[in-house]
Amino acid sequence: MEKGIFNNFYKDLINYFENGLPASRLTEPGWLSEKREAAFNLFKEKGFPSRKNEEWRFTNLERFLADDFKFRVQNGADKVSAEIEDFEASRIRIVNGRFAADLSDPLPDGMTFMDTSAALSDPRFAGKFGSIADDRESSMLALNTAFARDYSILHIAANAIIKKPLHISHIYTEQTGPSFIPYRTLVIAEKLSEATLVETFHSDAAAPVFVSFVSEQQIDESAVFHSHMINTLGENVYFVQHREVLQFRNSVLNNSNITLGDTPLIRNDLNFRLQGTGTETNLLGAYLLSGGQHVDNHTLVDHRMPNCNSNELYKGILQDKSHAVFNGKVFVRPDAQKTNAFQKNNNLLLSNQATVNSKPQLEIFADDVKCSHGSTVGQMNNDALFYLKARGIGEETARRLLMEAFVFDIISRLEIPALREYTAGLLKRKLHTDNLVIA
Amino acid sequence: MLNINDLQASVEGKEILKGISLRVNAGEIHAIMGPNGSGKSTLASVLAGKESYEVTGGNVLFEGKDLIEMAPEDRAREGLFLAFQYPVEIPGVSNINFLKTAITEIRAYKGLPPLSSREFMNLLKEKQELVELKTSLVNRSLNEGFSGGEKKRNEILQLAMLDPKLAILDETDSGLDIDALRIVANGVNKLRTENNAFMLITHYQRLLDYIVPDFVHILYDGKIIKSGTKELALELEEKGYDWVKEELSVQASHSL
Repeated sequence: MEKGIFNNFYKDLINYFENGLPASRLTEPGWLSEKREAAFNLFKEKGFPSRKNEEWRFTNLERFLADDFKFRVQNGADKVSAEIEDFEASRIRIVNGRFAADLSDPLPDGMTFMDTSAALSDPRFAGKFGSIADDRESSMLALNTAFARDYSILHIAANAIIKKPLHISHIYTEQTGPSFIPYRTLVIAEKLSEATLVETFHSDAAAPVFVSFVSEQQIDESAVFHSHMINTLGENVYFVQHREVLQFRNSVLNNSNITLGDTPLIRNDLNFRLQGTGTETNLLGAYLLSGGQHVDNHTLVDHRMPNCNSNELYKGILQDKSHAVFNGKVFVRPDAQKTNAFQKNNNLLLSNQATVNSKPQLEIFADDVKCSHGSTVGQMNNDALFYLKARGIGEETARRLLMEAFVFDIISRLEIPALREYTAGLLKRKLHTDNLVIA
Repeated sequence: MLNINDLQASVEGKEILKGISLRVNAGEIHAIMGPNGSGKSTLASVLAGKESYEVTGGNVLFEGKDLIEMAPEDRAREGLFLAFQYPVEIPGVSNINFLKTAITEIRAYKGLPPLSSREFMNLLKEKQELVELKTSLVNRSLNEGFSGGEKKRNEILQLAMLDPKLAILDETDSGLDIDALRIVANGVNKLRTENNAFMLITHYQRLLDYIVPDFVHILYDGKIIKSGTKELALELEEKGYDWVKEELSVQASHSL
């Protein structure tokens, strides 16, 4: 047996799967039941990953999984403000993992969104669930495969150029008791398509919520896919995400991953597998942490083919007793000649009690490549602080200005103005600078 | 306006200022000259309130208030301005928002409401012409990627915007080509009134061809060893700092 975590939550889950399967499971396609069975066995054997697992060395899940999480039927009381001001977009809401049709807009031609039953009955996507995120070692992925209650598919048709972004709001509203919400989406961007997906994460939960969210994405030949994740989750949501992206020849993927909420735990596993030649992958990340927040970003860019470019920049600020983990793997496989791969992680550590574990990890097996990686952990620049103060700007304001500037470096790279405004607003709210005149 | 009395200061335990006394009145321009390492920039930093300098003796009154007791931001709000020798680059903080924040904080300190956007932009436009700084630079991140001359002109723009009582220019002339020097000097001359004062810290006499000082002080080894009028600067230019050092040692041997 592995050295996993086998707590009460684990025991409940095992019992639930073996004895208490809901009726909906019985009508599922056979291929899915088989996948769930296999995944369940893996999870049962490994348990939740403990700190003995190299990938979880700096994130102690046990601490966050102490509540008595259950599957619950949430009432969709949705008072959460999940809008982005002045944002021209089609909106879809996923409330507690489930597609909320009544709160969602019709989509433009070439873009289709399917809820669980539509997704599972569409023969085009039979067997797709779990075929992109197919890591057979990850027990957290297996947990989701075995238990994902809801499943949706976003499909972008070949050659469709969709100007209007899609905004998916993920909202968690549990009110009754500690709740477990596992769900999954699949994104298929067919060849020569272009689309933008903005995902925002919100909560208004009175009780603790443990979210397991998996997104599998397939970006076909010459498709362009812009994806943004903005996490504004509140104080009692524990959020674990696994995102597996397959990129085919000449495709472009842009991803931003911005954390400006108050959630105690975020763990993102973002894996980008470059399956074809000539791809481009741009990754941006920002986090501003306070209190006892713990945010762990694991990214993997896997260069498997020649002539691919990847670029990654993550920046974060840590205050109070917060803890950030950045683990950025870049693999350049033997066939991946002429790779350009760049990665950077910069941190501003503003408290004696805050911790950063930054681990850039570049593994190169090809000999004709350009790669670099770097990581910094620094403190407030005292010369800059003095400069601001010498112009009459008070200590507090000056510090916040500098913090804002540090993160704004990432936010300013977002291409959608409404999104820049929105994230800048979240940043100011978190820094308490929203009543200052600085724009 | 400014009354420095036997000021002593050290950095990391090393004594740099060894008893400086100086009085600056409204309407005056004082030049502080001296060789490298004489303490000129330390004097500027101590007056502006840089934390790494420790005041070990003496006192400084600014408009009758104890300057040394004040936080750097309060000194600025009271009307003291330091044009930095090496302006700091701050990526991500736009020049324009920085100025707006500074003006708002200074006005709030004086119990005044913030300027409206229009008032601010009008003021900015007016002062920008004074230092001939392109709008593209004003909209950029603070000093980021600015040339040496642009940084110095940006300091003078800030000076013009904040309209201080006392402006200390710390080697603002160093690293400037003659055109930039003229622009900077021209700006200062236009900003000069009978209600404000300037302290020009410089190594060379060149700046003083363009901004004519009322008084010239020579700082050497942490002390003002000679004061005079603008002629002193010319004499210094002609004879070099060695002349002052020699005079000093002659005086020293006399007093023995």
